[in-house]
Amino acid sequence: MSFNRIIRVARRVIAQLAADPRTIALILIVPMVVLTVAGILIRAETTAIDVGIVQQDSGATAGFGIGFVNLGERLTTSMAGVSEQVTIMTISPESADDLLQRSEIDAVITFPPEFTQTVMDERVIHLRVAYEGSNPMAAQFLQGIVTRAAIETLAGLSVISAQTLPEIAIDATYLYGGEDFDNLDFLAPPFIGLFVFLFVFILTSVSFLRERTTGTLERLQTTPISRLELVIGYMLGFSLFALAQSLIILGYTVFVLEVHYAGSLLVVFLVEILLALMAVNLGIFFSTFARSEFQVVQFIPLVTVTQILLSGAFWTISAMPAWLQPIAWLMPLTHANQALRDVMIKGFDLVQIAPYVLTLIGFAVLFVLLSARTIQRQTGA
Amino acid sequence: MTDALTVQAVQKHFKGVHALRGLSLRVERGITYGILGPNGAGKTTLIRTILGLTTPDSGEVRALGVVMPNKAILRQIGYMPQSTALYDDLTVHQNVAFFAALCGVNDARTVTQAIDLVSLSARAKSRVRELSGGMRQRCSLACALVHNPDLILLDEPTVGIDPQLRVQFWDHFRRLNQAGVTLIVSSHVMDEAERCDRLGFVREGMLLAEGTAAELRQRAGTLTLEEAFLHFADGSPSAAERV
Repeated sequence: MSFNRIIRVARRVIAQLAADPRTIALILIVPMVVLTVAGILIRAETTAIDVGIVQQDSGATAGFGIGFVNLGERLTTSMAGVSEQVTIMTISPESADDLLQRSEIDAVITFPPEFTQTVMDERVIHLRVAYEGSNPMAAQFLQGIVTRAAIETLAGLSVISAQTLPEIAIDATYLYGGEDFDNLDFLAPPFIGLFVFLFVFILTSVSFLRERTTGTLERLQTTPISRLELVIGYMLGFSLFALAQSLIILGYTVFVLEVHYAGSLLVVFLVEILLALMAVNLGIFFSTFARSEFQVVQFIPLVTVTQILLSGAFWTISAMPAWLQPIAWLMPLTHANQALRDVMIKGFDLVQIAPYVLTLIGFAVLFVLLSARTIQRQTGA
Repeated sequence: MTDALTVQAVQKHFKGVHALRGLSLRVERGITYGILGPNGAGKTTLIRTILGLTTPDSGEVRALGVVMPNKAILRQIGYMPQSTALYDDLTVHQNVAFFAALCGVNDARTVTQAIDLVSLSARAKSRVRELSGGMRQRCSLACALVHNPDLILLDEPTVGIDPQLRVQFWDHFRRLNQAGVTLIVSSHVMDEAERCDRLGFVREGMLLAEGTAAELRQRAGTLTLEEAFLHFADGSPSAAERV
């Protein structure tokens, strides 16, 4: 064992890294970017629930000297007080369905005219909650809030003793999904997209880098093939693998993990292909900025992890700080995730997710042009 | 018929390097032209400029009569780079067939013939990764020849190739010349230069002298090309700085 030789090796390693400022910069900057984004998201209240209240309760006169009460109104007030994460708005019964369908609110609680009367007569609080349902976490959360609010309201009436405390029966309906929906049902659609994006990005950036370092890229430019043809060829080739991967992931999640899906798997496929096309071009684009496979690996967390955090896969975008939301919508993955969730959970068809699909196509075209340009730059001179 | 190549007062600067300093030369069709010079003389930059990989700062390059860069004419140009730019994961046959197809040649026999020509038939199904340096070089040559180009640029083609095969290569180059094909070969090996029809001595981005090997020796009054090169090089501005 020679200490000198060990030191020599260590010095050589340090010298090599020092000669590569880009890697050093990435080593230092990437964790900060990822931590900043993760920190903001984790600190922020991650659930924001909008509840619409259809208030029709006409109240009733209760015994025990309480006099006239309107339990519907009281419940509404205490729900707003229970948690800051819940935003309550009063809506008309006609607009309820529409607001739910457009996912502008997460749930509608309806207090019918005879609500208070029924509670008095039957000693049971029948709550009619219509969930939007695509996020089971939100549904569970709201369930807890409603129960707490009900208990608080009754406790506020103080005269009702423990023995006479009414039962709480929640009569829930789900627009999308259902009671048996769990978190995996919510997380699976974005995951299906993430894998395709991640792998295609890594594959392309490394293989394109190799194309550059081995000189084959330059060799290609001495043939009649154009840059655009090359990029499109890459896209076609990798799309095949993306397709095969999507097929397996999709098959596994749907048939083995038994994740619910409502919409057409073909539409899911289309979104996956668009994601793959984008990942190919992003890979080519970023490989331009890497001198070695070493540097390409550094780009992976920067491009993928940051994007995954911001894509709404785990943290709902509407719950993010206001200034972060536009940035989240700049991420292609965000649009893909929304589209995948809409199809798999809500059963939307191609027309309904068209805005997302068109945005994805837009991103893809932008990246094709960007990567074709960068090929020119790296060899042009 | 136009010349195979005309280079007209080409200048090229890179970051801090003056790679080509108003270089001009003319190559007629059907000959093998040797570009000779030490490392860093600008040979590779010249070849890259001829291929249109690099756009000159000033001056003009015409390959087969067409101003470069031009994508369409590349179909008629073959190029073998100095470092073998091949796909290591693919077989010899896959590599040659790929480059053939890019130049519009999809015929399997042409591909087999090209592999035959560089004596790699036995290894056609081997992955390039498994080949020796010389074999890779031959595979690279097959890729440059497979589409029957009219102009072929070879950057140091016979480095790492054994003498027997080198003779075979030059025989083939001769046959190509007879068929009207022009070859431009860069080299720093002088005895190889003897085989070229015409030679250009390049140093510091300029053409020092040009002619047949015999002419150059005679003008320099030397016995060998090497000495002739040194003779012409001494007249150039910074000969003293030569490494």
